[in-house]
Amino acid sequence: MTFVVRPALLLMALALLPAIGEAIYFRDKISWQSPIPASEVVTVDLAESWGENAIWIDARPDEEFAREHVPGAISLNEDRWNELLPQFLQVWSPEKKIVVYCSVQSCNAAKEVATRLHEEAKLPNDIRVLQGGWEKWKKVTSRR
Amino acid sequence: MIRVVRIVWWTLGVLVGGIFIYAGASKAFNPVRFATDIDNYKLLPWSFAVGIAFYLPWLEIFSGLAVVLRKFYRGGLLILTLLILVFLAVTIAAKVRGLDITCGCFGHASEHWSFPQHLAVDLAILIGLVALFGQELVGKEYRPGNEGR
Repeated sequence: MTFVVRPALLLMALALLPAIGEAIYFRDKISWQSPIPASEVVTVDLAESWGENAIWIDARPDEEFAREHVPGAISLNEDRWNELLPQFLQVWSPEKKIVVYCSVQSCNAAKEVATRLHEEAKLPNDIRVLQGGWEKWKKVTSRR
Repeated sequence: MIRVVRIVWWTLGVLVGGIFIYAGASKAFNPVRFATDIDNYKLLPWSFAVGIAFYLPWLEIFSGLAVVLRKFYRGGLLILTLLILVFLAVTIAAKVRGLDITCGCFGHASEHWSFPQHLAVDLAILIGLVALFGQELVGKEYRPGNEGR
């Protein structure tokens, strides 16, 4: 068995070297804590402090938005992207920051919507994903 | 005859190893994208996905090279066989869980593959690897460099 395992272990060890080098090289481009780089995330407190200077986007499905949402938030989810994007663009302003949220920290929808706003809609705004999502916003604001 | 058989085995090794070298290289230069592909499976925490995104492509490249160049050959075959089994398992698991995601196993090349295409490619590679393993352990007389003694 050793004649198979030993070379395999050696190859595994060898592969570690470029992997470590690459991890160092990409250290600023990828976060180990969250799929979204820290520069693209905003805390509830900071987002709230922007007040009228921010547009809030709810990336959750329609039913969840209808049930409850951040006051003033606009629904823009991937299920009805083509339908909802023009509605959002009517209230959009290039000077305002955009805060996108979905249900919780681990949901992907907010990140996807933020990416599409940047890459497909070509919006020049500062677009951030809300840290902790809707659940965190509810928790923080209920304490006030 | 032995020479022909040896060329066939050599070609199969180059083909299988080459596939993994290509697959690894296509992912190694975009670890951010590969980490997102892994994360889409929702099987591992994000930090693990990042670690795998940095490590796995290089493991594929080194193991593929080992098979092509016949250095640490058995180790390369073992790693590639285990990897293809993992790829098969996650592809099937994603299908069972109803996830509509790309495997990411072969970088951009596999982006638009359907589930049956993924399965067919993975199974074909697995068969190739098992055959190479069998030939290595049993049919030593056909191994390149061995003159049939």
